[in-house]
Amino acid sequence: MDRTYDEKLADFEARVGRGEKIEPGDWMPEEYRKNLIRMMSQHAHSEIVGQLPEGKWIPYAPGFRRKLTLVAKVQDEAGHGQLLYRAAETLGKSREDMMEELLSGKAKYANVFNYPTPTWADVGVIGWLVDTAAVINQTMLAQSSYGPYARAMKRICYEESFHIKQGYDIIAALARGTPEQRKMAQDSIDRWWYPTLMMSGPPDSLSVHSQQALKWRIKTKSNEQVRQEFVDHIVPQIRALGFEVADKDCSYDKTSGHYRYTQPDWEELKRVINGDGPCNKERLDARRKTHEDGRWVREALAVKGRKSAEAA
Amino acid sequence: MGIELPAGVTAEALSEFLLALADDELVLGHRDSEWTAYAPILEEDIAFSNIAQDELGHSLVWFSLCEKLTGKNPDEMAFQRPWEDFRCCRFVAYPKGDFAYTVVRQFLFDVAEQVRLIAISSSSFGPLREISQRIIREENYHVMHSQGLIERLGDATEESRRRMQSAVDVAFPQSLGIFEHLKAEEELVDAGFFPGNDALKSAWLAQVVPVLRKATLTVPVHDHKNTFAADGQSDDGGRQGKHTVHLQALVADLQSVYKLVPNAKW
Amino acid sequence: MTKEKMDTQWETYEVFHQSRRGEPHEYVGSVHAPDPQMALQMARDQFARRLKCVSLWVVRSKDITKTDYQDENFFAQVTDKSYRDPKAFEAPEKDGH
Repeated sequence: MDRTYDEKLADFEARVGRGEKIEPGDWMPEEYRKNLIRMMSQHAHSEIVGQLPEGKWIPYAPGFRRKLTLVAKVQDEAGHGQLLYRAAETLGKSREDMMEELLSGKAKYANVFNYPTPTWADVGVIGWLVDTAAVINQTMLAQSSYGPYARAMKRICYEESFHIKQGYDIIAALARGTPEQRKMAQDSIDRWWYPTLMMSGPPDSLSVHSQQALKWRIKTKSNEQVRQEFVDHIVPQIRALGFEVADKDCSYDKTSGHYRYTQPDWEELKRVINGDGPCNKERLDARRKTHEDGRWVREALAVKGRKSAEAA
Repeated sequence: MGIELPAGVTAEALSEFLLALADDELVLGHRDSEWTAYAPILEEDIAFSNIAQDELGHSLVWFSLCEKLTGKNPDEMAFQRPWEDFRCCRFVAYPKGDFAYTVVRQFLFDVAEQVRLIAISSSSFGPLREISQRIIREENYHVMHSQGLIERLGDATEESRRRMQSAVDVAFPQSLGIFEHLKAEEELVDAGFFPGNDALKSAWLAQVVPVLRKATLTVPVHDHKNTFAADGQSDDGGRQGKHTVHLQALVADLQSVYKLVPNAKW
Repeated sequence: MTKEKMDTQWETYEVFHQSRRGEPHEYVGSVHAPDPQMALQMARDQFARRLKCVSLWVVRSKDITKTDYQDENFFAQVTDKSYRDPKAFEAPEKDGH
C-alpha cells in the first residue's frame, strides 16, 4: 500500500492547511525539511554568535544590577541556542554537524551580530531594538507548522520579553542622564537602525526561501510585514524617549496607518550575510577558538561518561 | 541604618571581615562571568553563568550588610572603591586560565566558602547567621557542580589529567591565601563571630584533599593529626590590600563604565 | 552526515519537570550531557533557572520507545466507544427539581 509522493504531499499540505502541526518522524517534503534545518540552525547560530557583541560588555557593566542582568541575558542566548539546536536535531542533523557548518563559515546567521558594540549604549540598543525585531519575528514563528520549532519559540519569546525590558531600561536611564549619556544612546540608535531593519530579511520579492516558507507555514508573515510591524512598534518608543530615528524621512502615514520608512541598503545585507561585514571574522574566530579550547573538556567528559556507563 | 555590635568588636573589625567575604565573591563572580559565551559547551555556558550570578549575588548581600557600617551602598563599594582597598584574597583575582584552572579554582573556593558559611551559620552574631544560612543553599550546589567536574576530569583522558594536575599545582598554593589571617582575627574569634581562619583551613583541607586524590591528582600536603597540612608557601597579601596587577586590571575593567561620566546614573 | 568524525556534543537526555508537589512531571525539553548525573545538573540550569521546580527527571533520549506518527491505526477507535464517556449517560435529576 505504498502511497505515491503526490499522495503524501497532498496529505502533508492538507495537514498544514488545517493548521495542524508537523511532528518529528512525520513524512515531509525534502525541501520542507531542508528549509527548516536551514532556518532553525541559522536561528541557533544567531543566538550563540549573538552572545559575543553583548558578552563583551559583561566585565564593564556599570553596577550590580546591570552586571547581573547582562550575565543573565547573555546566558539566555546560550539557552536559546541550546533549545533551537535541539529542535533542529529532531530533523536528523546533529548539533556537532551544525556547529561544524557555522565554524567552517558555511552556515549563515543574523546580519546584526556582525556589527561592533563600541559603547555601553549598544548593550541597551541591542536589547531594545534588535530584540524587539527578533520577538516580532519569533512570535510569528511560534505559529510555525513544525511542532518543535513552534514550541521552542514559545519559551524563547517569553524570555525575550525580559531582554527587551532590560535593554529599554538601559536606554531610558541614559535618556534621563547627562548630555554625554544621551549622546551615547542617540549615536547607538543611529548605528543600529538600518542593521536592525535588515534583520527581517530582504523584501520577499528578493527572497528565494521566503515564498516556500510561507506556503508551508514555516513562517506565517512575509519579511515586509514583520519589518513594518517592527517600525510601527518602535518609532513611537524612540521618539517618546526624546531620541531621533536615523531615517529623517520616517513619518506616520494616516491613510495606511503605518510608518513610512526608507529601505535599507540590501546590497549591504548581502555583503554582511556572505561574510564581509565589519565583525564577521572576529565573531567566527571567537566561536572557533571557544570550540577548540573546549574540545578536551567535551572529549574527556564523553570518555568518562562511557566508562561509568560500562562500569554500571 | 546602624547595626548593634557586641562589646569587644569594633565596626572596623566587622567591616574588615565582611569586605573579605564580599570582595572574594565579587572578584570570583567577575572571573566566572568571563566564561559566559566562552564555555566548552552550551550546557556548561549556562551552568557557569548561573554560578557567576550566584557569586555576584552573594557579594551583593554581604555589601548590603556592610552598608549598615560604612553608609556606602554596594555599587559604591564595588564600582568606586580604589583597588588597593579591596580585601579579597589574591587567589580569586588571577586570570581565568584554561577550563581546568577554572574548575580547580572554583572547587577549592566553593568548598572554602561552604566551610566558612557553615561555620558562621552558628556565629554569635545574628546578621551573619541569618545571611549564611540563606546563601549556603546555593553554595551546596556549586560544590556539587565543581566537585563533579573534578571527579570526572581528573582521570578521564591523558590530556584532561595533565591539565587538571597542572591546574592543581598552580591553584593549590594560591588557594591557601583564602585563609590569610585578618587584622581583627583574634577579636572576631574571641567574640564568637567565626572560629578563625586556621580552623576553617583544616576543615577545608579535610574536605578537598580526599576529593582531589580520588580524582588521581597529587596535592602538595602531608598528613597531620587527623587532617592534612599544606606544604609550601601560602599566597598571602590580599587581606591586607597587597594585591597583584591582576586585581588592578580587573577592577579597572569592572569600574570603567561606572566611572566614565562623573556622578552619572546608569 | 559524516558519522566517523567524533561527535563531542554528548548524548541527549529528555527532561521532565515538576513545578510543585502534587503536579505531574511535564516534558520541558532536552539537554546534551555526558552522563545522567550531569544531565540532571544541566537540566536544572537550563530548565529550572526561572521555573519553580521541586523535582526533575532525565532519561536518555535513545531509551525512549515511541509510537510512529505514520501509524495512525495504533490509536484508531472504529466502533462506538461513547459508553466510556460519562457525558454519554443521563445525569441524575436534582432533588426537588
